[in-house]
Amino acid sequence: MASAGDARKITIAQVLVYELRVRDAMSHPPFTALPSDSLRTIQQLMKQHKISGVPIQLGSKLLGIISIEDIITALDEGHIDDLAEKWMARRVITIRDHFSLVRAVAEFERHGFGRFPVVDSADRLVGVLTRGDITNCLMHQLEKRAEEAIAFEAASLAARTSDELSRRIVIRAQVRTGDYDSAGKVSQRLRQVLRERGIDPDVRRRAAIVVYEAETNIIIHSLGGEITVAIDPDKVVVDAVDAGPGIEDINQAMQEGWSTAGRLPRELGFGAGMGLPNMKKCSDVFEIKSSNGQKTFVHSEVFLRKVTGTP
Amino acid sequence: MKLETNARLPDVLLTIQATLLTNTTDATVCGCYISDLLSDVLAHAKPGMLWVTVQVHRNVVSVAATKDIPAVLFTCGRKPDASVIVEAEEEGIALLATPLTTYEVAGKLWQAGVHE
Repeated sequence: MASAGDARKITIAQVLVYELRVRDAMSHPPFTALPSDSLRTIQQLMKQHKISGVPIQLGSKLLGIISIEDIITALDEGHIDDLAEKWMARRVITIRDHFSLVRAVAEFERHGFGRFPVVDSADRLVGVLTRGDITNCLMHQLEKRAEEAIAFEAASLAARTSDELSRRIVIRAQVRTGDYDSAGKVSQRLRQVLRERGIDPDVRRRAAIVVYEAETNIIIHSLGGEITVAIDPDKVVVDAVDAGPGIEDINQAMQEGWSTAGRLPRELGFGAGMGLPNMKKCSDVFEIKSSNGQKTFVHSEVFLRKVTGTP
Repeated sequence: MKLETNARLPDVLLTIQATLLTNTTDATVCGCYISDLLSDVLAHAKPGMLWVTVQVHRNVVSVAATKDIPAVLFTCGRKPDASVIVEAEEEGIALLATPLTTYEVAGKLWQAGVHE
């Protein structure tokens, strides 16, 4: 229960008793009897339908109500074969079908009855409401809300997951000249993403090699540059640009084994003269633009495919 | 002791007097590639192979990870820095070291039946 300290905190059940109407909880259509029916007939009706009160009505006019207490008294005092009109309660208190359940609960408290006939705005009898009906209705609604909440959570989780997998991820990194310790950082991130996305290992390796060679090329040969890797669901697009000094003879640079790498990078295992040829070999689309004293632009695309069997 | 393709690392270790540098518990290699040039490994090694090299720089780990190489053997008694070992463990790559030369390692592996 909400205390005075946290008056703003209200439970879902508290919300429901305000939201739900009598018509949502009542039993309907109501089982009714005629004033000319005997109490025994009404007792059988109660037994058959497991109800505890029967409105007595003639045509559309509500005349009274016979409750299970009336039947017990009749059995006890021996007038079970009398007609309903003789013993029915005539001052019937009804409630409207559009009342909120919280108001219905208040009416039960106020009158101490076990049931109310429910009438619509035109005073027509439309149902019967017991405390048990209110409890059942609340339980049912709570269950429904809980199921909806679970379904909503599952749906939004699924949407988020598929959204993340189809989202374009762009990795952009500055690459500094001579920074051999950072080589492979961008390629590592790319590998992670492609693995998460279930990309075929062979394709993943090709894309990672392109990026790794692009990184090391900038580190070894340029004055520094930038590498951009855009990962789409269907391809990886790599754009590497450096600040120069440019490649004098691109055809020569594209030959395996031809390298201009200095002593230090060679000692570290770079400068095999295979960077550009490797990139080209691993790319589905490969372009290089450069000339002496200019920036070098490398553009590569690797088309992605998933491991067979993954969605 | 059997050492063919799909050889388990513990068997390899004995054959080539190697010690394990990483906390690897189990790894399997399928064939072997020898090179000290990183781009050459990227171009010609096959995923799953044992890579034998004298290079101990951290780029070895990057290249191995890029190429899905599960184990790297450093020859001639060379050993990488602790930071490189940590990086290899994060990538799930086994690092090994042996006092033998690359040539001796190649000979022993071939003798043991690793022919690819």
